[in-house]
Amino acid sequence: MNSPVTPTSQSGSAEESSDPEAVDRLLARIWAELLGLDPGDITPDSSFLRLGGDSVLAVRMAALVRTRVSVVLELSDVTVDVTFAELSEVVRRRSAEGADAGRASEVPIEVEPRADRTAPFPLMPLQQGYFVGQQGGWELSYDSAHFYGDVGLTGVDGEEAVDALTDAVERLAEHQPTLRARVDPEGRQYVLPPEAPGAVPEVRVYDLRDSPENEVTDTLTRTRSEMSTTGPDPVRGPGVDVRITLLPGDRARLHTAMSLLVFDGWSATVLNRELLTLSADWNAVLPPLEIDFGDYVAALERLPSTEAWTADRDWWWSRLDTLPDPPALPLRTDPKDIQPTLMATRERHLSPERWAALRDACARHDVTPSAAMLAAFAVVLGRWAGHRSLLLNSLQLNRLPLHPDIHRVVGAFASTMLVPVELPTRATFATIAAETQRVFGEHATHNLVSGVEVSRELARRRGTTRPVGPVVFQSTLGMDAAIGETQPSSAGPLGEVSFGDFYHQLRTPQVAIEARVYELAGGMAVVFSYVEELFAPEHVDAAFADMFGLVESLADGTGWDTPVELPDEVAAPRDGLRIGQLDAERATADTGPLRDGLERDLAEIWEELLDTPILDRGTDFFHVGGDSLLVVRVLSRLAQRTGLTVGVRDFLDAPTVAGLAAAARNGVSR
Amino acid sequence: MSAERESGTIGVLGGSGTVGRVAVNRLAEAGTGSLRVGARDVERARAAVREAGVAASRARVLGVDLRDPAQLAAFCSGCSVVVNCAGPSYQVLDTVARAALAAGADYVDAAGDTVAMRALSAEAPTELETRSAVFSAGLMPGLSGLLPRLLAEDGPLERLDTYVGGAAAIGPLSAVDALLTRGPGFGTALAAWRGGAVVPNALSPLRSVALPGFRGRVHAWPFLSAEAEELAATLGVDELRNYTVYVSERIPEALAGAWARDDVPIEEHVPSVVAAADADVAVGGPWYTLLFHARPRDRDRSGPTRLILRTPDSYALSGVVAALAARSLVEGGVPPGTHAAADVLDPRRTLDDLVADALVDEVDLG
Repeated sequence: MNSPVTPTSQSGSAEESSDPEAVDRLLARIWAELLGLDPGDITPDSSFLRLGGDSVLAVRMAALVRTRVSVVLELSDVTVDVTFAELSEVVRRRSAEGADAGRASEVPIEVEPRADRTAPFPLMPLQQGYFVGQQGGWELSYDSAHFYGDVGLTGVDGEEAVDALTDAVERLAEHQPTLRARVDPEGRQYVLPPEAPGAVPEVRVYDLRDSPENEVTDTLTRTRSEMSTTGPDPVRGPGVDVRITLLPGDRARLHTAMSLLVFDGWSATVLNRELLTLSADWNAVLPPLEIDFGDYVAALERLPSTEAWTADRDWWWSRLDTLPDPPALPLRTDPKDIQPTLMATRERHLSPERWAALRDACARHDVTPSAAMLAAFAVVLGRWAGHRSLLLNSLQLNRLPLHPDIHRVVGAFASTMLVPVELPTRATFATIAAETQRVFGEHATHNLVSGVEVSRELARRRGTTRPVGPVVFQSTLGMDAAIGETQPSSAGPLGEVSFGDFYHQLRTPQVAIEARVYELAGGMAVVFSYVEELFAPEHVDAAFADMFGLVESLADGTGWDTPVELPDEVAAPRDGLRIGQLDAERATADTGPLRDGLERDLAEIWEELLDTPILDRGTDFFHVGGDSLLVVRVLSRLAQRTGLTVGVRDFLDAPTVAGLAAAARNGVSR
Repeated sequence: MSAERESGTIGVLGGSGTVGRVAVNRLAEAGTGSLRVGARDVERARAAVREAGVAASRARVLGVDLRDPAQLAAFCSGCSVVVNCAGPSYQVLDTVARAALAAGADYVDAAGDTVAMRALSAEAPTELETRSAVFSAGLMPGLSGLLPRLLAEDGPLERLDTYVGGAAAIGPLSAVDALLTRGPGFGTALAAWRGGAVVPNALSPLRSVALPGFRGRVHAWPFLSAEAEELAATLGVDELRNYTVYVSERIPEALAGAWARDDVPIEEHVPSVVAAADADVAVGGPWYTLLFHARPRDRDRSGPTRLILRTPDSYALSGVVAALAARSLVEGGVPPGTHAAADVLDPRRTLDDLVADALVDEVDLG
């Protein structure tokens, strides 16, 4: 590129980003532009915060680094107090990691407010998964996919608390339209106007201020059980359920349940903070949001017509056939034979001091804490599954940095990303972590195509309707910094929030086991959420102990430089019931012309929804453009026209015209 | 089998070409009559006759330039049937038909569509009162209009879909035909037949679809041909969708590019069409499929609703069809006048003959 890079230029080039001085010039211009300074004012040790930056500008900065320097920064890279020298170093490192992986694609779209904010818009890929899961569509699915949490409050003003909370919810529903979001039975979402009946979630109150201890305990147990197993369903009402239990001694508990169909984990954090901020102060006003979740979805709909998207799609598609199998964890039972209601949890915390030590150790080894935790989980899984080549799934809360407000908007932005991990033998943990970070970064630069879409294509190629990535890793380390304003611990009439007194439950479909790491009250929490029916308890105990032991050895510095013990086998062993090896030999597809009236009716319904000719009874729904949402629509039309009902799972078991016709006929006789 | 029959001599024009040499071979194998093979290049025609496995004694080879009326008349003289496999049909039109009829012979054209038939009918020769002229005796038009009738034998159809195509080399002459086959008399792109009329812009191209009998993912372009339109009317179907199938978008792009530049002589567009077809064949060799799919009005009726026919060589298969049409004429199975082969050949018998033919890889009727 010959033209000089000006502060308003929207382009960076590979040459520039591989030349450190050029990178620094680009970064200095970005800072100068955002902070209204002269580039000359910025010295290596100036911190973004001290120069007048804030968390909003920090996110905007990450967006500009991505578009101009073509480097994707991780959540934890973009702290408000980063110094220029630190940022420059991080950008160089990320750039080197991405060098042989190709650079992050420039995101070629903009988010703009839609003309009609109440118009329906499609579900995002992960939302589709949750929606279909709620219809019993997947093995390992629940009536609702949701997060439940309750937290202790002390010093509560019992007279004012309920009014303050109710008023805060109303104002929050005004501020964040997604609190008024609904999903229709065909799988489209829309936002109710604030004045619509039932649009604003109602706060439920349990006043136990004068109740004896045993009633308090019973109510808590009952409320937890109910809210953990019956989540809010945006198909029927608000996607959030807020309750408060007033307790003796000016104490209380705040209960919140949020549907994953409309809110992701990042949004849950934002909502909790905003709820407390509004509860604390009747006059608090949150900075207005220019865009909402629907605007983001509308913008993303334009992505597939861009070259950048096509390039990312091709990148993934070219790798699918060589991806490894998921960790072959031994199972007690076939997932399709169980109907779990809750996921079990193992949880331990690292103290703030130990967490600080872990961060320092990670920094010394040039890896992010998230990458180190992913590597630790992979090592644990490798030992548990007995092989070193593993396909992991990860939940990604990152939103594409398309607008400066994006990090403050709530919605179901989350996506997944598949991460293949090849663990070497006789390597140190430091080496494994560095390699894991490189691989993760390489894959993350191609995130314009959602992992849900990638998984769908992988399932199609592997000829399976079972989850291809049921072992999940999720890290929100660094999210607090990226969101900005810290969690208010004081909430006016609601008193003080006791973060140490926190109970939570999560149910996500298509997950056998998930490791989550997040910051809590200054420390770090390590959690396994898993489907209890699937695993032998002693296996989970051993794996969790292995994981936490490894984390502790990384925090105290002893775990980095000794060779990591791993099995010799690269590929998954093939004995007994294991994850990734559940598909029986598929019966050879029953091909041929459509055989009877029912098959002809079905082919017609498929044609209407898929816009492609269906000329063979062996046609696989997922090979001709079908997805889980369309499955729901097919079954709803089948029921309307013929009165025959088929469950989503029965369809998935034999997703052909012949298979569906057989399932429909069996349904009648049953 | 005797080499000579009462039926006399069958003349095949264009006998050195891909279509003609197969017609010569099949006619010789069937022993339908003695053969006279005409081509512009006598040596190439001799070689083709030899390669077709026909003894030199059974096939006289003559040099014929279709543009020379005297040579054409001489060739036709003494033939009971003249089979024209020479092109391009937009140039040939009714020239050979008129010469054949004037010589007292019946006529078969392995190509020749509605436009050629209309040209002959415009000033119909009186010989048509006793003699027959059969056009469109190839794969498409031809089999594409004939075989779908098998699906309507057991009851009326609500919808008929036809898909014909694959990967096949296109010679320069065929490329000109392909470039000329648009506009009135040929067909309408993106149209469907619905409720007794042509509905323009009713269909969209199907990109990257899997179709039974076709290899991998293909692209199907809606084109309501004159033949498909007549088929729809004849069968009384409520809807007919006719698609031309390509293995890539190269050919449709080449054709569209050419049509967008009609200020340029058509010959200049030929290389790009030829190259596009060659590139398609280079991917996985030549192959061609005919797929017909019927949706009966009575959803529960029995009887076949789908027919798949696969061949490695679409041109060669046209030669087979032309030979079958000639046989039908010899047997007296065709009434006098001008006809499309689809209207006068027996679909069941034709299918049986194709099943037995070495150029047909697969026939699946179910």
